[in-house]
Amino acid sequence: MKSKTNQVILVYIVISMFAVIMSHKLLQHFLSDDKSNNYNFIKEILFILFTGGIFKLILAKNDQRNIAVFKKLKKTNEKIKESNEKYNIVAKATSDTIWDWKIQDNSFSWNKGIESMFGYTQEEVINSSDWWFDKIHPEDSIKMSVKLYSFLEQKTKNWQDQYRFRCADNSYKYVLDRGFLLKDNQGKATRMIGAIQDITKQKEEEQRLRLLETVITQSKDSIVIIEPNPNEIGVSKIIYTNPAFSIMSGYKKEEVLGKTTAIFKEMYSDQNEYDKLIDALKEKQECIIETITYKKNKEKYWIRFTMIPIYNSEKILTHWISIQRDVSEEKNNEKEKEQLIRELTQNNKDLKQFSYITSHNLRAPLSNLIGLLNLIEDIPIENQELNEILMGFNKSTHLLNDTINDLVKVIIIKDKPSIQKEEVLLKEVFENVFSQLNFQIELHKPTIKLDFEKANTIHANKAYIESILLNLMTNSIKYKSENRKLKIAITSNQIDNTVILTFKDNGIGIDLVRNRAKVFGLYQRFHNYPDSKGLGLYLAKSQVETMGGTIDIESEVNIGTTFTLTFKNKE
Amino acid sequence: MLDQILCIDDDPITLMLCKKVISKALFSKDTIALKNGEEAINYFRDLRDNKEKNASILKPQLIFLDLNMPVMGGWEFLDYFTKEEFAEFNTIKVIILSSTIDPDDLEKSKTYPMVIDFLPKPISKLMLEYLNNKLEK
Repeated sequence: MKSKTNQVILVYIVISMFAVIMSHKLLQHFLSDDKSNNYNFIKEILFILFTGGIFKLILAKNDQRNIAVFKKLKKTNEKIKESNEKYNIVAKATSDTIWDWKIQDNSFSWNKGIESMFGYTQEEVINSSDWWFDKIHPEDSIKMSVKLYSFLEQKTKNWQDQYRFRCADNSYKYVLDRGFLLKDNQGKATRMIGAIQDITKQKEEEQRLRLLETVITQSKDSIVIIEPNPNEIGVSKIIYTNPAFSIMSGYKKEEVLGKTTAIFKEMYSDQNEYDKLIDALKEKQECIIETITYKKNKEKYWIRFTMIPIYNSEKILTHWISIQRDVSEEKNNEKEKEQLIRELTQNNKDLKQFSYITSHNLRAPLSNLIGLLNLIEDIPIENQELNEILMGFNKSTHLLNDTINDLVKVIIIKDKPSIQKEEVLLKEVFENVFSQLNFQIELHKPTIKLDFEKANTIHANKAYIESILLNLMTNSIKYKSENRKLKIAITSNQIDNTVILTFKDNGIGIDLVRNRAKVFGLYQRFHNYPDSKGLGLYLAKSQVETMGGTIDIESEVNIGTTFTLTFKNKE
Repeated sequence: MLDQILCIDDDPITLMLCKKVISKALFSKDTIALKNGEEAINYFRDLRDNKEKNASILKPQLIFLDLNMPVMGGWEFLDYFTKEEFAEFNTIKVIILSSTIDPDDLEKSKTYPMVIDFLPKPISKLMLEYLNNKLEK
């Protein structure tokens, strides 16, 4: 630079000198006044040298100023370069998506995040702000643009916003967008740079936590979080109570927060249960207590109270969570139920005793009557009328005796809720039944078909099953059709754990349309036969059910009757 | 035919029946009726004392015992009767003759070795024939 100034001055001097010398030579040639010529020549030379000196001075000063300006410019330039470089590095390194919006010419550019975060290739991206706005979820876009324009008009200082941004696959991501505004000399916004952060995971987590939180806030159980005091074992501080706690106990949040668990001592009526709680706190063990509790207004209620210790990853106790449920209703129900069961048990016992005593007290004089009648039988009675009276007396007495004996049988069956069961061979049972009915079988000669191929044993009480089958068999014979030969078919079958016994005859049947509800009832008779008492099926059903089985009937008048019995096998 | 038997029952009609049926069936020559367990205990105490003086005095060969009686019932009587005090009478066979239907009573009767049967009232000639057969065996 310096040399250039010198050069300029030198050129100026040389050219001026050359001009001066040339004009001097010409003047010498045309003019003869050498003296004035020489004088002028010297004067011009001096002038030239003088102006050359002044030039140099001015230029040197100018130079200095130029150098300073240049240096400053260079510095600024370097700074810009550096910051640009930094920006590029940051834009490359950050996981955020960076956008750059030149507002005046509405040119909009994105860094590679637009692809990695949202899946748009560079070709898909249109470099205008409209493209950006278009991708914002419709529900968020109005709120977002209001905020953005108020920022662009510089009514607000900072801008950051959360909205949903549509990805290339049409799904939405929650983003946090933070922007900076660059202004020109007049303070007009010219450029805006933004950084978009994907906060979908945080948002989802936030929503999940909010949902989980509603469990605590909306719970009808009261929830209390307690912080243990590491210095004083067993003394712990309440740091949270949910709304249900206040509703349940009547204590406001402010009245319990920061208090120690000693507050429960005032609330719990049961000292033992309170001690259990304190012990659990000391032992750092979970505990469940039940106690009558006083509300703030001294009203009583029952709570079930669970204390759960919470440990951190270092296995150090950090909190206790206490869940308290109002179980007053449950407790009252329980009490009522217990009372009811007690009363029922007593009633049942009394009734059983009553039935034994009654039947005993009925039987005692009745047996005397029968004994006395037996004695009369041996005495010949002349008086015809007396004889008839005694006959009627005899008949009635025996009928009364039969009835009482039947009732006694029923009482004995009903009294045994469970009965000894064993594997019983069906073949043996039927042999016994047939031998007891030998006389009737010989008399009527029914066709009896037995098929126990599929199941030859049942799990039952031997005496009961014999009595049941004796009753069914007697019924079949008693209610056989006069028009056809009696046929009885008995088959057994097994399905899973159940043995099914089918007992089928071709007798006169029962009209089930009219009588289904009564068919197994006590003293229910459907045919006016002299020896029908209405007890057999009632006894059979009682005995089947005492053994845990079932009995069902299907019947058609004049076609026949089928009984289906089921018995569970031994587990 | 037995020589002497005891009937312990609080019901006079039952006792009358017993006496009549027993004599008609020629089951025993002599039937002594007692109204409850305590009377029976006293009877055996007297019998024991008298036997010391006169060894030829008869002792009953069979007892018909009711269960539900006032003052002392059948069970209480059996509890006394099985004690050492009455050791010499322990071999006397007992028939419980009752109108009870409680199955527990039947089970309980089996715990007393001298009780050989548990029969329902009323006493009858058939019953006595059955007992005769049983005793002969």
